[in-house]
Amino acid sequence: MFPGLLGLMLLLQAPWAWAGDEERKLEAVFIGRFASYIEWPAKPRDRFVITLLDDNPFGSLLDDLYRDKRIHNKPIELRYATRLEQVGETDALFITLASSAARAAAIDHAQRNGILTISEAKGFAESGGIIQLDFVEQKARIKINHAAALKSGLRIGAPLLTIATVLRGDKP
Amino acid sequence: MSAPHRVVLCVALAGAGTALAADKAVQETNDYYRRPLDQLLQVETQAKAAVGSRGGARDALDAEVPIDIITAAQLQSTGQPDLQRALAMLVPGFNAPRPSITDGTDHAPPFTLRGLSPDQVLVLVNGKRLHQSSLLHNNGTVGRGSSGVDLATIPLRAIERVEVLRDGAAAQYGSDAIAGIINIILKGYGQRSQATVTYGRTGEGDGITRQGTLFHTLPLAGDGFVNLTAEWRDRGATNRAGPDVNDGGRINTHFGDADTQDGLFALNAELPRGDATLYLHGLYDRRRSSAGAFYRTAGDDRNIAALYPDGFLPRIEPKILDFSATAGVRGVLDDGARWDISYTHGHNDYHFYVNNSLNTSLGLATPTSFDSGATRNTQQILNADFSKKIGRHTVAGGYEFRQEHYRIFKGDAASYMLGSADNFAYGAQGFPGFSPENAVSAKRQAHSLYGDLKYGVTERLILDAATRAEHYSDFGSTLNGKLALRYRATDDLLFRSSVSTGFRAPSLSQSHFSYTGTYRNSNDAAAQFWGNFAVDHPVARALGATDLKPEKSRHLTLGMVFQPSSQLTASADVFVTDIHDRILPTGYISAYSLSSLSPQAAAVLAQNNIDGAVYFTNAIGTRTRGLDLRLDYSRQLENSARLKLVAAYQRSRTRITEVNQAPEVLGVNMTDLILDPFTRVLIEGSQPADAIKLWSRYSQGIYDLVLNLNRFGKFYSVSAYDRVAFSAKWTLDAELCLRLAKDVSLALGAVNLFDARPDKWGRTDDSLVGAGKVIQYSQYAPFGYNGAYYYLRLGVSF
Repeated sequence: MFPGLLGLMLLLQAPWAWAGDEERKLEAVFIGRFASYIEWPAKPRDRFVITLLDDNPFGSLLDDLYRDKRIHNKPIELRYATRLEQVGETDALFITLASSAARAAAIDHAQRNGILTISEAKGFAESGGIIQLDFVEQKARIKINHAAALKSGLRIGAPLLTIATVLRGDKP
Repeated sequence: MSAPHRVVLCVALAGAGTALAADKAVQETNDYYRRPLDQLLQVETQAKAAVGSRGGARDALDAEVPIDIITAAQLQSTGQPDLQRALAMLVPGFNAPRPSITDGTDHAPPFTLRGLSPDQVLVLVNGKRLHQSSLLHNNGTVGRGSSGVDLATIPLRAIERVEVLRDGAAAQYGSDAIAGIINIILKGYGQRSQATVTYGRTGEGDGITRQGTLFHTLPLAGDGFVNLTAEWRDRGATNRAGPDVNDGGRINTHFGDADTQDGLFALNAELPRGDATLYLHGLYDRRRSSAGAFYRTAGDDRNIAALYPDGFLPRIEPKILDFSATAGVRGVLDDGARWDISYTHGHNDYHFYVNNSLNTSLGLATPTSFDSGATRNTQQILNADFSKKIGRHTVAGGYEFRQEHYRIFKGDAASYMLGSADNFAYGAQGFPGFSPENAVSAKRQAHSLYGDLKYGVTERLILDAATRAEHYSDFGSTLNGKLALRYRATDDLLFRSSVSTGFRAPSLSQSHFSYTGTYRNSNDAAAQFWGNFAVDHPVARALGATDLKPEKSRHLTLGMVFQPSSQLTASADVFVTDIHDRILPTGYISAYSLSSLSPQAAAVLAQNNIDGAVYFTNAIGTRTRGLDLRLDYSRQLENSARLKLVAAYQRSRTRITEVNQAPEVLGVNMTDLILDPFTRVLIEGSQPADAIKLWSRYSQGIYDLVLNLNRFGKFYSVSAYDRVAFSAKWTLDAELCLRLAKDVSLALGAVNLFDARPDKWGRTDDSLVGAGKVIQYSQYAPFGYNGAYYYLRLGVSF
């Protein structure tokens, strides 16, 4: 009985952070797949940097997924920031901030630094974010603020634009 | 094997299990990574539910309690015209029989979960409590003596999903959440407008249904929306009555679905502003319905041949108005704490009208149409919630104020009075009206404080604790608690268990329902009364009635979820629910029906000119035990086709475990007072002992094929004090839906394709019920007795 208990205790104590649900898996995939359809102004970095801002809902999934991947022929580096000040040079910013004011500050920072912003927050694209991911009736939907992308100096490829709802003005 | 070796082995196995699970998640995610973007948008993720937790929505593998999620596609594929009937075809343990010749119950039939009572289910709309109907089921149907929610007041196409929590949750949500919770989520953000028309009829040519629905969505700034649904539903009557041998073999009675027209409207709107969202949802239903009472033949004492030479079928034709509205604001603070303040108003008015009838006691002066009075129930709720995640923990709490108001309105005088032309046949035949003595206006208030804590002991082991204290102005205070454990052994496997206490506040209708009639024997100096008396009526008090106490419950659920891949989820849960002080109407308290009735009680009856009386009392305790099995499977096939399969089995059994003391003044025991064979079978055997549901959808190219196989388990009914068994039956529903154009679809479907019918009654001594007689089917039949029903549905999205 003792060894069984020990095994159970080890399981209980394991520093486990699993992938979560299917939506999380798709979100994790979309971050990299979106990036592959987007053209950045030339940057003198040898790595493609993806930063998560605020809570990390993915556990270790992003690290596991992108460990052997390349975007724009660059290896991928994942960074995790809890405050905007911690976001250094990055190519893509996945934002999980709960407060709209904090998201607006992050969007503003990203626009000034040519960073792709992605979030699942409602109203994200309308408020200047570039890509908003939604799940409606168990399927993913993409909303893109094309003007915000251009303002950030990013060019979004046609294959991505054709499958997304594209905001070209201020109207929803 | 030595102890050290066993330790090493266990550690190795634990580590290996963890690694394998993690590998699988990464492998599945890598598989997604290789797919084209447009294919990723077609991936159907697992459904999530928010009910039962204040920590946000979660899927099956993350839920500490068992929850079924029924999608809009599933609901619509059943071909059923309303939500109640659709859920009966999809949710095991959801029982919605279709009683007939049961007064008001024909027009707003009850539903139950897990074989319990209609008022032991809490119904929410977008997480807010929905009011109950004012109708008290007062005939011999499933749910006798209770008032439940009328689910047919919600337009089916306004619904995004239905979450069915299969566990007691009164410690979180308050009264009624004993058998479970049904949380109806209205369509929200990201929808398309849609118009649908449906036409259907039974295989026998009746029950013609015409239904038109318009769902319109208007996007607002910030991903807000206004969604409006308008529906007209006209469901024709069905009739499966047999010949009346007392009337020349004519089919003179209506036994089947009522003829019902509903005008429905639903609103769901959200208007985000910064970190706050103003929200509003509402439901409205105006129903006209018509069904028969028992036929009065030409020679019946209750007939006046000069008015109805061939006899007559009184028609009970209520007008029902039901609406509710919730307005609120929710938001998030800078530190991530969430808050929600809302107000809900609910209203149900059930107005009885009787046509093609007479009041025999008024002679030829009688009217033939009557206003028999009304019952009305209103509910107002003020609610304030907060929740905050702190690391992997969540704390939540809130306050709720609820006010309920129950009223009975008298009918017109002719509907209830006893005239001089006849000593016995008083009031409107079919449904005598509520008299001025029955009229009542009763209110109560309830204050609730509640708190939840979700504590992550480790990433794998989560503890949920909840408590709720309530004070009701009529019966006092309650305090309930819940403790749930969720242990994720691996990425594939979840073990869960919960223990909780709960309660159901006696409904105001049970405490205050009063419905009496009169007759006069030739030697009586005064008219004699009989019927239902409110528990605070002096006569009921003199017969031992007391204020009703809440029903109290205890729950235990133990289960597991296994998800070997994202396509397959299986779960198994066992449950035990004990309920004490269940509220039932007494039997008929009279000197001639209770042989041992005390002289004191007999004197009370005689002094008050009462033939016999019924009142509600806390009577019995029950134990319900059961098992739930679920399997969800979906797969993308080689030929770009998709297959989705939902299989479920439920078994539950309720047994009477306690019988309370009867009031001493009566001189009888509670078994004699209440538990006649009919009542015992009603509680223990009238609902199917088990159910199997197998819903499948195959989609390819321009079509979807849906097959829904149902097994409705065995149930019992009573004839002449004997229990009669009715065997289990299988039904198969099928729907083929063709996408004629990008936005146009046409569905052809059959409910109960092979025309299965419940067993008929065998030979009986009853004059109306039995083989070859007027009533051939049991009122308890869980899928009705209409037989096959075919339909066409055209849908246009825009």
